[in-house]
Amino acid sequence: MGSAGIGIAGIGRTEYSRRSGRTTLAMAAEACRAAVVDAGVDLADVDGMICFEAGDSVGPLAVSSAIGMRELAWNIDTMGGGNVVANVIATAGAAIDAGLCRAVLVYRSLNGRSGHRFGTATGRLEVGGDLQFEAPHGYLVPPQWIAMWARRHQHVYGSTCEDLGQIAITQRAHAVRNPHAINRTPLSIDDYLAGRWVNEPFRIFDCAYEVDGAVAVLLTSADVLASSQQPPVWLVGSADSQSGIGWTEWDDPTTMYSRYAAPRLWQRTGLGPADMDVACMYDCFTYTVMATTEDYGFCEKGEVGDFFAEGRATYGGDVVINPHGGLLSEGYIHGLNHYFEAALQLRGHAGERQVEDARLALVTAGAGPYGGASVLSAEQP
Amino acid sequence: MNDSMLDVPPQPRPDADTVGFWQATEHGRLALCRCRECRRWQHPPLERCAACGGPTGFEPVSGAGTVFSFIVANRASVPGFSELTPYAVALVELDEQPGLRLASRLGGIDAHQVEIGMRVQAEIEALPGGNHHIPVFRPVPAPPE
Repeated sequence: MGSAGIGIAGIGRTEYSRRSGRTTLAMAAEACRAAVVDAGVDLADVDGMICFEAGDSVGPLAVSSAIGMRELAWNIDTMGGGNVVANVIATAGAAIDAGLCRAVLVYRSLNGRSGHRFGTATGRLEVGGDLQFEAPHGYLVPPQWIAMWARRHQHVYGSTCEDLGQIAITQRAHAVRNPHAINRTPLSIDDYLAGRWVNEPFRIFDCAYEVDGAVAVLLTSADVLASSQQPPVWLVGSADSQSGIGWTEWDDPTTMYSRYAAPRLWQRTGLGPADMDVACMYDCFTYTVMATTEDYGFCEKGEVGDFFAEGRATYGGDVVINPHGGLLSEGYIHGLNHYFEAALQLRGHAGERQVEDARLALVTAGAGPYGGASVLSAEQP
Repeated sequence: MNDSMLDVPPQPRPDADTVGFWQATEHGRLALCRCRECRRWQHPPLERCAACGGPTGFEPVSGAGTVFSFIVANRASVPGFSELTPYAVALVELDEQPGLRLASRLGGIDAHQVEIGMRVQAEIEALPGGNHHIPVFRPVPAPPE
């Protein structure tokens, strides 16, 4: 990061629903406009845009035009899901730092429930690449890959389905106090265990709740940040790890990308897990939270179930993990909603679910062989 | 075309690097990519060895391995599998080399009887819906100690 710093000046989002009935362009435009209005900055000060998508959304040129911008000084349309979010944020920050632009709208817009669903493949498929060996066996979608990894963790560390359940029910308890969350019905461990199987050892409550919606985050230079009407939220540092070693070949599925990204992040920021007040842990599945909570150092391998069951991951504990309910309960906007929540918490604007005196937040993104993380702060680093 | 004709498993799309695998299964054999120089097995296949850059070719493997992990798919998330749920898919680690794994549906066993560490053996089966053949692993008795 440059001397002056980078931060989040504004945040915006749409409603999250099961069927938006809207285009991804309309939702992206609403979220981006809302982020600019939230910051209270002039649209003329915004000169960059970056998004991530998987052929299911709309790029920066259409969205910038739709909100009345004539052109962009810098833009990227990134191919990827939750694995790229931290890198998209870091890259936007680096572009600002390099002087390529001053203020970047980062957005994700998708009809993740009514449109293309990541957990299900349909139609007559012909599959190339590495997956050509696996798809004919009925093994093709992320809930299967990550369930496969969770089973290995259970074998090596003796973790259980009840341990995964503790993650699901803690996050649901958080979502109960989040008016924007799509799933706010309290969930007990018995409810969790009564949930239908999807891919054993995963039940339905181990899976992110797919929704339609959009989120935008306005990341800016320090001077634009100073003109925001909101309390600043600073980007302290980022780290990433993306591996081409696949879900089948990955040597130790009890650890994820985070075994590389976590030491990188803590070394770069000079901070550690004990410094974090809030942790928005990427949670496409409960097991992603389990493996990454261990890898980022919040507890030892195999202890995550107890960490949640003993209240160490909620209010009054070591760190509040996913105070918004996460992708499991707030909704699956592919992790950009984690940045929205972290900003809200660090501003002190999270209402009923505000984490007391939240000064530092970890936001992680991705699962399995690929992902990254950012540290955000209420104070200028 | 009716629904049952659409409901077939995903078909592989071989390319120049992988076609040797599919040619072998067509002849009832399981063969994997192996470096002709350093002799390392490489799956998924590559034109050149990822470790040493040497040329590769396809060589027969025993088809014997151990279940490294597994799932039981209860939901037909993939076309062609609605009649088969619940079915078990395992990562099978082959005897030839540590970490040399294939993902495979497990045949010849109730999905809920599968265990990590179980010994399995590949058999080549026709893949419905096209002209390809795939290795499907089945449990075998553990070898004597």
